[in-house]
Amino acid sequence: MNLVEVNHLSVSFPDDDPYDGIEERDTIIRDVSLSIQKGEVLGLVGESGSGKSMSALSIIRLLKQTARIDGGEILFDGKNLLSLSEKELCDLRGLGISMIFQEPMTSLDPVMKIEPQVAEALRLHFPHMSEAEIHQRVIKVLQDVGLPDPQAICMQYPHELSGGMRQRVMIASALITEPKLLIADEPTTALDVLIQAQILDLLKEIHEKTGISILFISHDLNVIRRLCSRVIVMYHGKIVEEGETLRVLDHPRDEYTKTLVAHTPRVQTRPKDRVLLSMDKVTIYYPPRSFESSLFKKMPLEPYVFDASLTLRENEILGIVGGSGSGKSTIGKVLTGLLGTYDGNIQVFGSDLKEVLKTPERPQMIFQDPGSALNPSRTIGWTLMETLRSGLKARRKNETEKEMKEQILSMLREVDLSEEIYDRYPRELSGGQRQRVCIGQALLYDPEILIADEPVSALDVTVSSQVLRLLLSLQEKRGMSIIFISHDMSIVRSICHRLLVLEKGRIVEEGDTETVFTHPQHPYTRQLIAASML
Amino acid sequence: MKSVVNKLISLIITVLVISFVTFIVFSIIPGNAAIAKLGVDASPEQIERLEEEMGLNDPIVLRYGKWLLNALKGDFGESLQYSGTKVSALLSSRLQVTLVLSLLSMGLILLFSFPISLLCVRHQGKWVDALLSGLGQVLMAVPAFFLGIMITYLLGLVLHFFKPGAYIPLSENPSRAVLYLLFPAISIALPKISMTVRFLKSSIQGELSQDYVRTARSHGMSQGKVLSAHVLKNALIPVITFLATIIAEIMAGSIVAEQVFSVPGIGRLLITSISARDFPVVQAIVMYITSVVVTAGFVMDILYILVDPRLRRK
Repeated sequence: MNLVEVNHLSVSFPDDDPYDGIEERDTIIRDVSLSIQKGEVLGLVGESGSGKSMSALSIIRLLKQTARIDGGEILFDGKNLLSLSEKELCDLRGLGISMIFQEPMTSLDPVMKIEPQVAEALRLHFPHMSEAEIHQRVIKVLQDVGLPDPQAICMQYPHELSGGMRQRVMIASALITEPKLLIADEPTTALDVLIQAQILDLLKEIHEKTGISILFISHDLNVIRRLCSRVIVMYHGKIVEEGETLRVLDHPRDEYTKTLVAHTPRVQTRPKDRVLLSMDKVTIYYPPRSFESSLFKKMPLEPYVFDASLTLRENEILGIVGGSGSGKSTIGKVLTGLLGTYDGNIQVFGSDLKEVLKTPERPQMIFQDPGSALNPSRTIGWTLMETLRSGLKARRKNETEKEMKEQILSMLREVDLSEEIYDRYPRELSGGQRQRVCIGQALLYDPEILIADEPVSALDVTVSSQVLRLLLSLQEKRGMSIIFISHDMSIVRSICHRLLVLEKGRIVEEGDTETVFTHPQHPYTRQLIAASML
Repeated sequence: MKSVVNKLISLIITVLVISFVTFIVFSIIPGNAAIAKLGVDASPEQIERLEEEMGLNDPIVLRYGKWLLNALKGDFGESLQYSGTKVSALLSSRLQVTLVLSLLSMGLILLFSFPISLLCVRHQGKWVDALLSGLGQVLMAVPAFFLGIMITYLLGLVLHFFKPGAYIPLSENPSRAVLYLLFPAISIALPKISMTVRFLKSSIQGELSQDYVRTARSHGMSQGKVLSAHVLKNALIPVITFLATIIAEIMAGSIVAEQVFSVPGIGRLLITSISARDFPVVQAIVMYITSVVVTAGFVMDILYILVDPRLRRK
């Protein structure tokens, strides 16, 4: 028996370029048909922009006002949702269909306590329920989602809870009315690896206990494999493949699905013995936040990373892994000179880091978010030209404009971009293209050491493996050493020679990647590995 | 609690620094109190004697110290323009007038900004929104003195709501005085209302695209209810800081409005005192305005903490 039936749905948005004056519409979803059975967990995968979230928002009818449903029908429990009035839809949302979202940090009202937010749907749909009963139900549902001390949590504000706890609160607020369908839109993507696994377990447990139907949207195949019995693959607004999860993921028929499930590239190089960089018992602090706090609080600075020692050899890819807040990015910041408050000795190429930072040989960095790392009001060519110019200036070299442009164009080719990119603006580029530009920008300095801080975690799966392949081939060609900071254990396993595991600012484990994975010593490492082996 | 104490300390430091700077500025400007008192025809010997007598030859830090000690006791010295009159006496009656005027303006701003903003957001893109936004643009663009003149003309001379120039002191008839002050208050408030509406509107619209709005909608809440239940309180947070700057602008606005509507307040006194080089009075008024503005900032900071739980640290 089908709970939801979507037949030939098409959705379009107005063309996002408001300046060309032509009234055009982009079709985001094209002729999509799918059904969700009672008690089923259906997975919906695809990269961003594939229309998977839009399909889900169409079912709960929460598309932006500019969106238009051009055709098709959506049946929920036999009722056509497209013919319901706004009032009837309000009665359905939160009672028949509930939804949880990707961003637990922003999906709760920051100035409202937890209790009224969890109880919201209950108060809206059951206006005559007594306060005592509402409170009882809130406590019960908070317990059901595994939150300790629900009484205390009721009185807290969202910012007082961790990301994982907030997502649990979100789940509680969606489940309190016992809906028939839960739509989960990338509910674990914004969370830490360990928390991700916990939330998935929770959803699985809830499904087994209540038999609720779940539409689970994700770009992460491991997550889908773990939770869903059936999966639908979307690409460019269309369904390209559908079937039993294991069949689709292990024996894909569609070309796109095949690239989706393709394995991440493996590192081929071998590190040499020469040590390029070494940190010896380094403790890193953050400077005080405001003038006032430095004026009034003469407290010792709180360290973020304690007694960290590491070495990086020539031609080596060293992985630094850990949950968020473990201090892994902090180390990257110190090595590139973005943060200068540390105690201890850091040697690069045999001299002190602070000296090396003044030279053009200093380590270069690639950041996580290629969307905001480039100046939005300048062309790619301008940005790269500036970088090259300051690089040449530091080396006291002079080159003509023409030679410089030639150099940039050849760099663009090297990172697999077409030369046309030179005159484009960042907003005209996709996330993967932007990250290639950022890599190219870092390479303009011809660095021996590259620090990559979560360089692919903001990218889609397929794009991510392309970028990783590029990084590996550049590393091989140029003989670079890379410090690869990541929370993704499966990526780290395939591209790093050696691993450091960081927990709360302390290095808890260090070793060859395979050794760490096959014989983890520290419990935290074991937890991380277990969470990634979904 | 501790951060409140810290803020209070920096508030006091700010006021002290500003008082010192104004004191130095006034002692650098050519012409001093002795010259002002005796007039330009006085002989250099006379001036020198008086300077000695008034302690004007003492080092500046010493003079500032003396002034500060007296000021803390509420004594800002004697006015030069109205010789023999204490500055504090000169200020106190006018202070009342300006205070009433400022409070009326603030009241009008608070009273009208919120409903108008909500109205505009509710009818976004429709004629009500377009009309109110257009009107707001015009009110913001018109110079303050001209707006004052227009109100005097339209509401006073044409519609006879009040008699321009016929201000009755607060001590004589408080209710009629307040009624008269309502009109300069309108002239101060109108452009500020437009600014606040514009700010609040964009703040509300920004909040409407936040994720928590989608969450509330997914719980089955209607768009209108989301606005009052969730959005308004969040949208208020940035507006609080904005209101602090509005208070500063009310002070500036009242200087012009008092002149145009011939109201005997601080603003008028400031203008006459500056042209008469009546430094003790000017210094006192500058201190008053500074304290009001800095205190307003302090109060807004506290309000901030009350409204936004994220700022309440344990």
